[in-house]
Amino acid sequence: MTPTARVLSLPLWRQPWVINSAVTVASVVVCLLLLPSRVQGMELLGVSPHWLLIWVVAWSIKRTQWEGAIAGLVLGTLQDAMTSPHPTHTLSLIVVGVLTARLQKQRYLQEDIVSVALIVFAMAVIAETVLALQISLNQLISADSLYPSLGKIWLYHQRIALSSAILSSLWAPALYYPLNRWWDRYSPSS
Amino acid sequence: MVTLAISSAWLLRANDGAVLYEAYYWVTRPLQPGISREEQFESSYILELQQRIVELEYQNRTLQTLSAYEETAAPGGTWAAVIGRAADHWWQHAILNRGSRSGVAVGHIVTGPGGLVGRVVAVSPRTARVLLISDPTSRVGAKVSRSRSMGVVRGQSNNRVVMEFFEKAPDIKAGDVIVTSSFSRLFPRDIPIGRIESIDLTQSPAPEAVIQLSSPLAILEWATIYPFEPQETVDLPVIPGAAPDIMPEDRP
Repeated sequence: MTPTARVLSLPLWRQPWVINSAVTVASVVVCLLLLPSRVQGMELLGVSPHWLLIWVVAWSIKRTQWEGAIAGLVLGTLQDAMTSPHPTHTLSLIVVGVLTARLQKQRYLQEDIVSVALIVFAMAVIAETVLALQISLNQLISADSLYPSLGKIWLYHQRIALSSAILSSLWAPALYYPLNRWWDRYSPSS
Repeated sequence: MVTLAISSAWLLRANDGAVLYEAYYWVTRPLQPGISREEQFESSYILELQQRIVELEYQNRTLQTLSAYEETAAPGGTWAAVIGRAADHWWQHAILNRGSRSGVAVGHIVTGPGGLVGRVVAVSPRTARVLLISDPTSRVGAKVSRSRSMGVVRGQSNNRVVMEFFEKAPDIKAGDVIVTSSFSRLFPRDIPIGRIESIDLTQSPAPEAVIQLSSPLAILEWATIYPFEPQETVDLPVIPGAAPDIMPEDRP
């Protein structure tokens, strides 16, 4: 019996792609449930790590731009569900997914946890900047905008971008390492 | 596969993430605080009571008719524990562990030890999402309890909010108590908000005051949810002559 035939003869719930999808979806759900929590020692100035961003970076690092963009779209929509769709989080996470995939890490950078933490740091700043730009745009074009003045938005942006970037990059290995190990094991090529 | 992922995410967004918050409720269930934690807020309660006294004294002094004074805090509020915070960094939300099963609906008012906390903006069967008054997009019509100067309170993402007055030269001084005004459509009137900490009369177009919230929003663990129907029409002012033409634009 060839390996392919052996795989096909397995019951549905033991087929690799089913297990792989289940683990992937479960990891997203865990990230979503971590979002509203403020665990002691996991927050800085009232800001907690951006788990979805870490997930998108971990996903996109060895995949194509399109896969990164789709992951950003799906996770951004999920975050919109948990907060408010205006301003949307899809845009910032799509940007993060595409940029991370474009980095072509395996070609230019060493495969290690420090470089992942650095990528997450930069991407967290970019994601918060995209959100701040959306809010600023809303403030500029709509006359009865509920948002505060531009100066206040960008002052607040500095604070949360920095604390989110620091915390997310520190917690990135906790999510990246197990997920990456798993995807390496279950990659379609192997 | 892609369509499935996007459509399921879209579906979750369509019902405001209710499924996720239900799951969150069950996951954090062992961590939710027990009943006996209320003593921690004793000092905040005292502050709230003091502020209520200031408000009541004024109302006595001006001999308001009893009929004009409606009971603001409806009896029969629901106690709820704060089990979570905003799922991103730009919003100031709190997640409470009571939802539509306990009769909570969108628009209900949330108060805590110390005074006003916010209003319910989304519910799932067992959780409610509250937009705190410290959120930058939150607007509350407010007045100075002593002088009846009107204004709008807007959040700043921390435990201080800014009150913008309607008048050019409002009669205010540091330490004045701020309560919700009768012009607020989304909040019942006379709920304590906080005290004036500092005043900036040079602000344009209207003077501003920084207000220290009396409710400890950052460490809030318990809150009370009161049923409240947002008013479509603004009720008439209680005191003749003290009514500005402008109405505070509350955030829906």
